[in-house]
Amino acid sequence: MFCYQCEQTTRAESGSGCATAKGVCGKDETTADLQDLLIYQLKGIGQYSMRLHALGKPDAAADAFVRHAMFTTLTNVNFSRARFVEMIAEAAKVRDRLRDAYEAATPGTPRLGGPAAFVPAAALPDLLQQANIASVRAGLDLVGEDVVGLRALVLYGLKGVAAYAHHADVLGQSRDEVGAGIAHALDLLASDPADIGVLLEESLALGRLNFKVMELLDAANTGTYGIPAPTQVRTTPVAGKAILVSGHDLLDLQRVLEAVKGTSINVYTHGELLPAHSYPNLRACPNLAGNYGSAWQNQQLEFAAFPGPIVMTSNCLIEPQPSYRNRIFTSGPVGWPGVRHIADGNFAQVVQAANALPGFAETAPEKTILVGFGRNAVLSVAGQVIEAVKSGAVKHFFLIGGCDGAAPGRNYYTDFAEKAPKDTVLLTLGCGKFRFNMEDHGDIGGIPRLLDVGQCNDSYSAIQIALALANAFQCGVNELPLSLVVSWFEQKAAAVLLTLLALGVRNVRLGPSLPAFLTPALIGVLVEKFGVQPITTAEADIAASLARSAA
Amino acid sequence: MEITLVTRDGERLRFPIAQSDVLAGAEAAGYFLPAMCHEGTCGQCQARVAKGSYEMGKHDPAMLPKSDPAAVLLCRCIPKEDLTVELPYNRAQVLHQKVPVRKAAITAMQPAWEGAVSLTLRLEPDAETGSAAEFAPGQYMELTPPGTDIRRAYSLANLPNWEGLLEFIIRIHKGGAFSTWLAEQAKVGDIMTVRGPLGAFVLDEMSTRPRCFVGGGCGLAPILSMLRHMGEFQDSNAVHLIFGANRECEIPPPAELESLRATLPQLNMSLAVVQPDEEWDGFHGTAPAALRQHLADSTEPVDVYACGPPRMLEVIEDLLRQRGRGDRLIAERI
Repeated sequence: MFCYQCEQTTRAESGSGCATAKGVCGKDETTADLQDLLIYQLKGIGQYSMRLHALGKPDAAADAFVRHAMFTTLTNVNFSRARFVEMIAEAAKVRDRLRDAYEAATPGTPRLGGPAAFVPAAALPDLLQQANIASVRAGLDLVGEDVVGLRALVLYGLKGVAAYAHHADVLGQSRDEVGAGIAHALDLLASDPADIGVLLEESLALGRLNFKVMELLDAANTGTYGIPAPTQVRTTPVAGKAILVSGHDLLDLQRVLEAVKGTSINVYTHGELLPAHSYPNLRACPNLAGNYGSAWQNQQLEFAAFPGPIVMTSNCLIEPQPSYRNRIFTSGPVGWPGVRHIADGNFAQVVQAANALPGFAETAPEKTILVGFGRNAVLSVAGQVIEAVKSGAVKHFFLIGGCDGAAPGRNYYTDFAEKAPKDTVLLTLGCGKFRFNMEDHGDIGGIPRLLDVGQCNDSYSAIQIALALANAFQCGVNELPLSLVVSWFEQKAAAVLLTLLALGVRNVRLGPSLPAFLTPALIGVLVEKFGVQPITTAEADIAASLARSAA
Repeated sequence: MEITLVTRDGERLRFPIAQSDVLAGAEAAGYFLPAMCHEGTCGQCQARVAKGSYEMGKHDPAMLPKSDPAAVLLCRCIPKEDLTVELPYNRAQVLHQKVPVRKAAITAMQPAWEGAVSLTLRLEPDAETGSAAEFAPGQYMELTPPGTDIRRAYSLANLPNWEGLLEFIIRIHKGGAFSTWLAEQAKVGDIMTVRGPLGAFVLDEMSTRPRCFVGGGCGLAPILSMLRHMGEFQDSNAVHLIFGANRECEIPPPAELESLRATLPQLNMSLAVVQPDEEWDGFHGTAPAALRQHLADSTEPVDVYACGPPRMLEVIEDLLRQRGRGDRLIAERI
């Protein structure tokens, strides 16, 4: 096993990465090796898929399989080796189908080699023997750390793109160009690229592709559930039977709400599903009672204390404790051995569990937080915001966004929000917001100082806000009184970072630590070419941001 | 003084301790370790002291393996200095909350096989815990008949469920307090007190090794639950069941075992009978002997899940040690 795809990976002077029997996330060696093999097969599928796209003969089902399969390998998504064994068998069939289609369309073409020719073993022990070929560090001796690190950047960015694209898929939004872009990157990785320039260009191409994917996801979400609007969300429980839905997937939440329709069961959102309350078509469901708990890393305590079933619809899942293992369900790409998985969107047994479990005995005093400041809500008051900037009432905008996590260094983001001057506006998205969103940050002339843009999946909305402000001020995004303070944890954040770099957004402050897969030389490139800045302290970074703004 | 508990999966739990046994100290610190009698007689809290000196209070020496001088019963282990204790189970088996005590009504009683009764209870809904039967397959509950202070531990044979059903297979011991009550007084509708779930005899679902289950008599109950769970979750691990009995009539009805194969197609079985009839075509001998035969051709390390009397478990432990393949024994004493 070797994995260094997330922020919490083991760090050591001698070299970072999880390389023991179990990763920090709880992923064991077998599962990690099976994930590597699956990714290797996806590269093989990408080889054929890229060529079929070029021939105008894409296989939409294969593209969707790739997106879903890549999503299962993100941090804290799927730990079920049984599911990976199934997917490896399925991937071989998909590859065969594409190979047949490609060879039928191009008679006489020599058969493709590399991952496209890989034959997975039938039995698990033999399969694990094959895993070395698929390691993310394969070829290190030949090409060195910098190339391996850049390949990892492309792969992890690609995983993030695939995850966002899968979220759009389930709501019926997909485009051939997304499948083609993902296939292009997989095909490149299948060729064991060693040219740093080519890999850097592919990283930026993925950033551009991700921007389109996020636009697609935005269209899927708003097209299905309406335009998010500012909404007060209850954060304290109401007496009665209860279901908790966590992760990011709005469709699964909708299905749970449909399953409890006509009952008195209260449905609560957890973590990254908080912004669901701002969508009119979800908010209208009377069973949607409020938000419970905080960010993913606190789930073991929060789920143990929740008196009903829990549905985990996407990342981030951590090892379910015995006290709630029977009443947690996974759906979509998520899995854990011995935890019930709902593959067909039928949440009837979750409702059955809710009826059998005690629910909340009492209604707690009401507390609320305000969410729903997507691009439409913010831009609807753009005139007011622009005036506030021109009058000096608003000196600066900070976008404090991204993932949360357990590392103590993440207190930086709480400090940042607390210490930002009162004449600055804080935009936030992702689950990193739980570090500071329960506090009252006040308002500036009626504009709340803390504007919750949504999930990390809503990064498109945040970028649109920045672009619209730049347009209004007739300047570039980098000239706006705006600083991006990004916390990363998993691979969707890597995709968003690539998008920001591809859009030419400079001076992104990145933390709490920099990706372990980036070597000092690669970090040097990010710093020099793209102006990426590692975080220091909240005070120093606030001061530096404001100084830049004043200059 | 400080105690460091090291779980099988390498997690370390540290807590201070004053004048108490390690089990009580752990509970005071909020860690509820698998334990039953708290009196040094059931062997449930067995662990191993890797570092530090201690005294063992009064206990049944038969509950400790002779092969390991560092083995202790945590309920009788009084530290004399800082201790590092190795636990034979994962972090996930250490609870953070007290064990629930609930009421359950008898809904069915019927003979299971010779000398054994199948008892089904349904949990009474209460405000604190609702009505769901939540446990890990392999765990047990302590049952107390109405109007008595008898408390006996029996493993659950069914799967966790939302109907609140608890199924047990109970061996009738002549003259035993619980057996006598069950045989002479118990009736459908009686309300019993149930404490649990308890126990660390559960599947290590992250392990990819072949699993071999060894049980006899009522030792089949937790194994049935685990096998049913594997079936429900379409677990793909190789799996072999060895059921031991003294006589053929003590073997569960074929339908019971065959129904397992319907959901777990890779399941193989050995039925071991010590004193069979002449026409018996299964294994002739004890369950550990059948295990020895089963493992004879295998070089792969195996996870052996065994539920039975201390003597049987010792024999299996010796057998696995001699085999020298790094097998693991996950055991429950009855």
